[in-house]
Amino acid sequence: MVQEQKGRWFSSTETYGFLLLVSLFAIFPFIWMVSTSLKTEAEAFRVPPTWIPLKPNVDAYISMWVKKSFGLYFLNSTIISLFTAVLSTFFGALAGYGFSRFFFKGRRFLIGFFLATQMLPGVLLVGPYFKILSKLGLYDTRTGLVIAFLTICLPFSTWMMKGFIDRVPDVLDQAALVDGCSRFGVFFRVILPISAPGMVATIIFAFLLAWGDLLWVICLTSTESMITVTLGIARTVGEFQIMWPMLMAGALLGGMPAIILYLLLQRLLVQGMTAGAVKE
Amino acid sequence: MSRFRIKDQHMWAFFVLPGTLLLVLVLAFPASQSLLYSIYPEGGGSFFTLANYSTLWGDAVFRQVFGNTVLFVALSVGSHLLLGLGVALVLNQEIFAQPLFRLIALLPWVVPDVVAGIIWKWMFDPVYGAINDLLIKAGLIGTHVQWLANPRLTLLSVIFVNLWRGFPFVMLILLAGLQSIPRVLYEAAAIDGASRWELFLRITLPSLKKMLAVALALDIVWEVRRFGLIQAMTQGGPGNMTEVLSTYIYKQYFQFFRFEYASAVAVVMTIALLLVSLPYIWMISREE
Amino acid sequence: MDWIRKISWAVLFLGVMIRSSSLAGAQEKVTLRFSDWHLTESPWDKTLADAMAIFEKRHPHIKVALEPVSYKDKETKYTVESAAGKAPDVFHVHAFSLPMFFDKGFAMDLTPFIEKEGGNKFLEAWYPLCIKLVMHKGKVHAMPGDYMSMVLVYNTELFKAAGLDPKKPPKTWEEFLEYNLKLTKAPEKWGFAVLGAKDPGFELRFSPFLWSFGGDYLTPDNKRSVLDSKEAREAFQYFIELYTKYKVMPPGVTSMNAQDVRTQLAHRKIAWEIGSGWTAPIVNAINPELKAFEVLDAAPLPVKKNRVTTIWLSSWIMSPHTKHPKEAWELLKFITSKEMELNWFVNNRVTSSRKDVNQEPQVQGDKFAKVIASQLLYGKVVPQIPQWPEIIDAFTTAVQEAFTEMKTPEKALADAHERINGILARRR
Repeated sequence: MVQEQKGRWFSSTETYGFLLLVSLFAIFPFIWMVSTSLKTEAEAFRVPPTWIPLKPNVDAYISMWVKKSFGLYFLNSTIISLFTAVLSTFFGALAGYGFSRFFFKGRRFLIGFFLATQMLPGVLLVGPYFKILSKLGLYDTRTGLVIAFLTICLPFSTWMMKGFIDRVPDVLDQAALVDGCSRFGVFFRVILPISAPGMVATIIFAFLLAWGDLLWVICLTSTESMITVTLGIARTVGEFQIMWPMLMAGALLGGMPAIILYLLLQRLLVQGMTAGAVKE
Repeated sequence: MSRFRIKDQHMWAFFVLPGTLLLVLVLAFPASQSLLYSIYPEGGGSFFTLANYSTLWGDAVFRQVFGNTVLFVALSVGSHLLLGLGVALVLNQEIFAQPLFRLIALLPWVVPDVVAGIIWKWMFDPVYGAINDLLIKAGLIGTHVQWLANPRLTLLSVIFVNLWRGFPFVMLILLAGLQSIPRVLYEAAAIDGASRWELFLRITLPSLKKMLAVALALDIVWEVRRFGLIQAMTQGGPGNMTEVLSTYIYKQYFQFFRFEYASAVAVVMTIALLLVSLPYIWMISREE
Repeated sequence: MDWIRKISWAVLFLGVMIRSSSLAGAQEKVTLRFSDWHLTESPWDKTLADAMAIFEKRHPHIKVALEPVSYKDKETKYTVESAAGKAPDVFHVHAFSLPMFFDKGFAMDLTPFIEKEGGNKFLEAWYPLCIKLVMHKGKVHAMPGDYMSMVLVYNTELFKAAGLDPKKPPKTWEEFLEYNLKLTKAPEKWGFAVLGAKDPGFELRFSPFLWSFGGDYLTPDNKRSVLDSKEAREAFQYFIELYTKYKVMPPGVTSMNAQDVRTQLAHRKIAWEIGSGWTAPIVNAINPELKAFEVLDAAPLPVKKNRVTTIWLSSWIMSPHTKHPKEAWELLKFITSKEMELNWFVNNRVTSSRKDVNQEPQVQGDKFAKVIASQLLYGKVVPQIPQWPEIIDAFTTAVQEAFTEMKTPEKALADAHERINGILARRR
C-alpha cells in the first residue's frame, strides 16, 4: 500500500546496511585519531601499530591545552569563524534574494562575477591582502582575518542562499507585498524564516571554511595571540618530528565547535523542511 | 510610508550592492594586481609581454599538471556526487536515529583538509600505517601496499581521501533539497504505479536540478583549488603524478619565486574554470 | 563658541605633550621582532627563549617579541612579509633560501656593522665557506648560524649482528654496497634508507654520491648542466640501483621524508642513514628503548674518487625595512657570538659555523660532533643561484621517476638534464 511506502525508498536491510558502511567509512579515521591521541609519543611509532593504547593517557590533550595554550587558539578560531559565518550568510542571503527575485540588467554577469571570485587561487591573493591589511592597520588582527575570510565565504554563501531562496515560491513575496509589507519586510519576515534550513547549512559550511583555513592565517598573522586552531595543529609538524598524539588531540578538539554548532542548529535544519513545501 | 518611493524593481540594488562592493574593493582590486604580474617578463623589466604564456604552453610539465587537474577534479566531483546523492536519498527516509547518522556523515568535513591530508598520509604509510595493518590482519592483502609511492595508486589514494573529506558537503545540500520536495508529488505518481526508478528520474532529479547545479559548480571550483590536502599527502609526487594546478602555482610562487610565471598559470586556471562553470551560471540564473 | 576655544587649547596642549614625549623617546623601549621556526620545537624553543631573556637583561632598553613560525611555512610567511616591507627585524632561514632572498632585496647589507666590529678580522671567526655563502655581490648580507656536515649514522649492534666490525665503517662506496647486502634481511630489516620525497633534505643526502663519483650538477659558472657526464650517470645509477636492483632499501622511498627514515632507524628497521647532529637526539626521542646515544655511532661518508660531503648552513637575516637596525645588529651579534653558539651546541647538538666553538671540549668530546666537525673541511655546497629550487625539483622528479621505475635511470637523468638546461637558459 502507498501508506506503507510513505517515506521509504529502500528496504530496511538496504537502508541500514548502506548507512552502516558509510558510517564506518566516515568514522574510521576518527577511531584512529582517538586511539593515537591517547598514546605516548613513543607508542605512536610502534610497528605494527596498536589500536588500543597500551598505556592510555591524556598527556597529549593536557600538553595541547596547557603548553600550547589551545584555549586561546579556540577563542580566536571561534570568534573569527563565527563572525565570518554569520556575516557572510547574512550578506549572502541579501544578495541571494536580490539575484533570486529581481531580473535587472547585468544580473547574469554579477552572478558569474560572484562565482568567478571563488576561482582565484589563494596563493596569488595573500601578497596583496597582506599589503592592504597592513596599510589599514588590520594586519595580525581578528578583524583583518574576518574581512579576508568574508571575501572567500561571501560568494559561496550567496550562491548557496540563492539556491535555497529560489525554492521559496514567489507568491509568498507577492502576498506579503500586497499586504503592505516593504521588500525588506518580505526579506526578514517571510524569506529568512522559510529558508532557515538553507541558512543553517550555509552558516555551518562558511564556519568550517573559515575554521579550516591555513594559508591566510599564516600570512596575515604573526604573534602568538592570534594563532588559530588550524595553525596550532599545523605547528605540531615540526622540522624534525611530528608529535602525533598532540596533533590528533588538536584535530579532535578542533572539530568540537563545528559539531556543537551543528547540534545546536540542526533542529532548525529539520524544522523548516516541512514549511518549505507549498502552502495554501 | 517613507517619503521616497523607490520603485520596487530598483530595490535589487540594496540587496546586491553591499556584497558586490565588498568583493570589488577587497578582492577584485588585489586580484587584478596579482594577475597583471603575468604580462610582465620573468626576471624583471617594465615592459609588457606574453612570454609567460608561451612558456607555459610549451612546458610539458604544465600540460601534465593540467591533465592531472582535470582527472582529479572529474573523479573527485563525480565521486562526491554519487556518494553524496546516495547518502542523501537514504537519509531522506524516516529512519531510526536519523540525526545520528546525519551527524556521522557530516564528520569528515569537520577536519580541515590540511590536517586530513597529514593524518591520512600517515594511515597510508606502508610500514606504520593503520590501513595496511588492518588489511593485512583481515587477510585481504599479503604484503604492504605502497599507497602513495606506487605511481599507479597515488592519484587514486588522494582522490579516495578527497572523497572522504568532501562528500558531506554535497550530501547536506542535496538532503536539504530533497527534504523540501513535497511528498504529495511522490504519492500521486505512486498511485499511478510508477516504480522507484521512475519516481527518481521524473520527480526527484528535476526538483533537484538547481541544488545539483549549485553543489556541482561550487564543488568543481573548490576541487580545482584543492591545495592543502594534496600538498600534505604527496607534494605533487612521485614524479609529477599528483601535481595539480594549485600545487604547481604554489611551487612556482613560493619555492621558485617565479611570480610572473605563477600569475600566468593562475590566469589560465581562472579562465578555464570560468569556461567550465558557464553552463552552471546560465542554469542558476535562468528565469523561471 | 567658547567650547571651540577650549578644544583648540586642549588639542594644542596634547600636541605639545606628544611631541615632547617622542623627544624623550630616545630612552624608550625598542621592540625587536624575532622569528625562528625553532620556536615551535622543543628543546630549541626553551633554549631560544632563555637566550632572549639574557639578551634583554644585557640590553634593558630592547624588548624581543618572539614570532614562531612552522617549519614548512616559513618561506611562505617571510616572502609575503618581506614583499610588503613588514618582515620581522631578525629572522632565521636555511642557507639555500638565501639566493632568492638576496635576489629580491629582502636582506640588509651588513657591511657597515661589520666594519665597526673590525671588518675582516671580525669575520675570521667563521669558516670561509660560511662567509662565502652569506655574501651577495661581495658583501655580507646575512650572519651564519648552524653549520653541519652529513655523515653516516649507524647502529653498532646491527653491525655486530651481521658480522661486521662497528669500528670499521665502510671506506668506499663499493664497501658500502657490500655492507648493505649483509645488513639486509627483508622484510624484517634493510641496510639503508634515504628520503625520497620532495624535500630540501634530499639534496643534502644525495649530493655526496654525485660529487664523490666525480660528477656535479652544473658547470662551475652555473650556466649549463653537467648531469650528462659519465661520472654523473654512474653515481645516479649506483644510487637508484640500491633500491631497484639490490633492494637494500625499504619499500616506499618516494613518500619517505627524513623523519620516516629516522623512525626506521629508531625501530631497527634499517642499520644506517645519512644524517648529522640532529639524528641521535631525535632517534632517542622516537624510541628511548634503543638507547640511541650508546648504540649509534658516526663515521665519515664513503669515498669513490674524492672525499666530500654536503654541508648544511642556517643563517640569520636582518630585514632591510627594520626600523631599529642598530638594535637588530646587537641581536644578530648576540645570537652568533661564541657564547651563544656554544650554548646551541650544548642544548641542541648543532655544530657551529664558528671555528672557535668547534674546538671547544664540549664539541670534541661528543662522538657525533667530533666526526661532523672533522668533515666540515670537506664540505661542498650546491650551486647558490636563484634557480636552484626549480633545478633540484626537476632533479628530484627524475629520481622519483627512476625509483618507481616509471623511466629507466638513464632516461630519467637525461630528461632532467634537458629540463635543467631549459631552466638555466631562461634567465636573462
